[in-house]
Amino acid sequence: MSRSALPALALLLTLPFGSSIICGSLFADEELYRAAAETNVNRRYTIESIAVAGVQIDRAKLPSRLRQRMNALVGKHCDVAVLQELAADLRSELHLREVNQHLLRGSRPDRVRVDFDVVRKPIDISVPRFLYHSQQGFSGEVAAQSRIGENSFSIVAVSNGDDLTERFTGIAARYDDSRLGTDRVRFGIGFEDYHEQWNSATRAAIEPDTQPFDLYRSRRNIAPELTFVLMKPVTVSVGTSFERTESENPATGARSANAITAELHYGRKIEGDTVQQTVDGRYGLRVGSHGLGSDYSYSRHMISLRYEIKSGRQTASDEFIGGAMAGAAPMFERFVLGSSDTLRGWDRYAIDPLGGDRMVHNSLTYGYRLGERTAEVFYDSGALWNEGGSARFRHSVGVGYRQGVFVLTMAFPVTQGRIEPVFMAGMNY
Amino acid sequence: MNRRLAKSLTLAALATGAALCVLAVTVAPARLLVHLDNDYLRISVTPRLNFLAGRTLERLKDGASVAFVGQLTIVPDPNSLVTAARSVARFALSYDIWEQKFAVTKMGERPDSRHSKSNLSSAEATENWCLENLTIERSLIPSDRPFYVQLDLRAEDPRDQAGIVGESGISISGVVDLFRNPVKSGQKPLRVTNGPLRLADLRKAGHG
Repeated sequence: MSRSALPALALLLTLPFGSSIICGSLFADEELYRAAAETNVNRRYTIESIAVAGVQIDRAKLPSRLRQRMNALVGKHCDVAVLQELAADLRSELHLREVNQHLLRGSRPDRVRVDFDVVRKPIDISVPRFLYHSQQGFSGEVAAQSRIGENSFSIVAVSNGDDLTERFTGIAARYDDSRLGTDRVRFGIGFEDYHEQWNSATRAAIEPDTQPFDLYRSRRNIAPELTFVLMKPVTVSVGTSFERTESENPATGARSANAITAELHYGRKIEGDTVQQTVDGRYGLRVGSHGLGSDYSYSRHMISLRYEIKSGRQTASDEFIGGAMAGAAPMFERFVLGSSDTLRGWDRYAIDPLGGDRMVHNSLTYGYRLGERTAEVFYDSGALWNEGGSARFRHSVGVGYRQGVFVLTMAFPVTQGRIEPVFMAGMNY
Repeated sequence: MNRRLAKSLTLAALATGAALCVLAVTVAPARLLVHLDNDYLRISVTPRLNFLAGRTLERLKDGASVAFVGQLTIVPDPNSLVTAARSVARFALSYDIWEQKFAVTKMGERPDSRHSKSNLSSAEATENWCLENLTIERSLIPSDRPFYVQLDLRAEDPRDQAGIVGESGISISGVVDLFRNPVKSGQKPLRVTNGPLRLADLRKAGHG
């Protein structure tokens, strides 16, 4: 870890606790407010129903965890302190300007109805995620989002050195209509404009006359997409991607990497009294063809399967991903291992500085929750190779500390010789 | 014609006078009334302070809890930083949405030292109960020199950090909102002062 990174690292270490330090000093009498809620005279009434913005919770669009918490309050005594916490969590999770709870008379004199009144933000500016990786440096996003009815707009400034072989920096904009005539059809269109930075290891691995890799200095993409909700846990998306790259080599110039895209997604949560399970599966296909005006002709398949089980304080999860490509694909389509969620601890450029066209990876994680904090251990294994080559499996282990959306991770590659751990601190990575 | 003009002028003058009287009553500054009740100095305010009004009252009638902190201080001069005596009380207020009555609890150091009153029929009665329960021990009041009595009231703000850090990241808009609107309740702190007073004068009779 470089010396210059140490101040940044120190700042990052304070981030999980920074908000509570700031807010703790501002809201010193929060304890009084909590005590006030505990003495509320309406505690003796029973909650008959709960609604959000006038919509009953069964029909309101809510994260399942919040819906579950609200459902659990129906039939119980009206604990205003708990309702305040729920209002705060609603505000937080849905990024609302304000949420106020209203108690209304129920159908009988011993019952009350609860309505959470919500005030939306016209525009929400946020940092959705960021990452410090001791080998890759910083990655992060700053987003401005707005929602009008079923339509949402977002503009995101991105610098990402984690997902691809190259670091890409630029702007992504997106429009989504979550109800195109019916609840079962959604429409979205994304626009991306990035400039690329290539690692010296990648540059060194390129042999201009023998390999078909083009290092581009910028790329621009427009990708419209339609999503169909076949049944509640299953969606299918189809779309196109009109991508154009500008090569570093003036002789190559601009190239088109147009493709047809498709994705099948299955996601389900099974919530029991003591055990909660989550199953998530995806299959993605991208096909580039000269018929679409593309300079590349290829097909890219990727599958991911994730299973998570929670019981009490304990969480265990397993995630498998696998991918394969055929034909000549642009660099941004190539698979990478050694990122913030694959083969953590390994240097991606030591695995393959050009990425690969075959990949399998599995990650096994166990977490133990202590209040709002979770301690984790994980084991990653995976292989990255090219068609005709042989797959060499690599392994890594590590520990993590998670608090809300913040995470600190220390990962070690399982290898002979000198082991250099990788440190990561981030949010939503 | 002259008679009609005179009549109109008289009516206009009367209307202006009435409006000025209403305005005078409306903007009359609150007076802090101080009296001794056995071993305690007690207060009342006239006209009514009306601290249970506007957004605070709306929140109460929505079934929410509202917390107030009241402070009574004995100071040698108005706005003096040196205090001869101080009493701080914390009040938790709520409104029964079925009975349409107010309830108030004076918070103690421990949960068992709380002091409550319910079935208060109006906001004014609730305000009065809070003021009646804000006292200073007589033995703490200087008997050899004049002093001022100062009442401070402020609503506790139920702000929280939610909306800043959530599953979708850190909201910069939330941070801006937090610092742009420091008091969500819309209730400004209230201060009323009376003095200079002497303990001997208060002993003789209720003093305004």
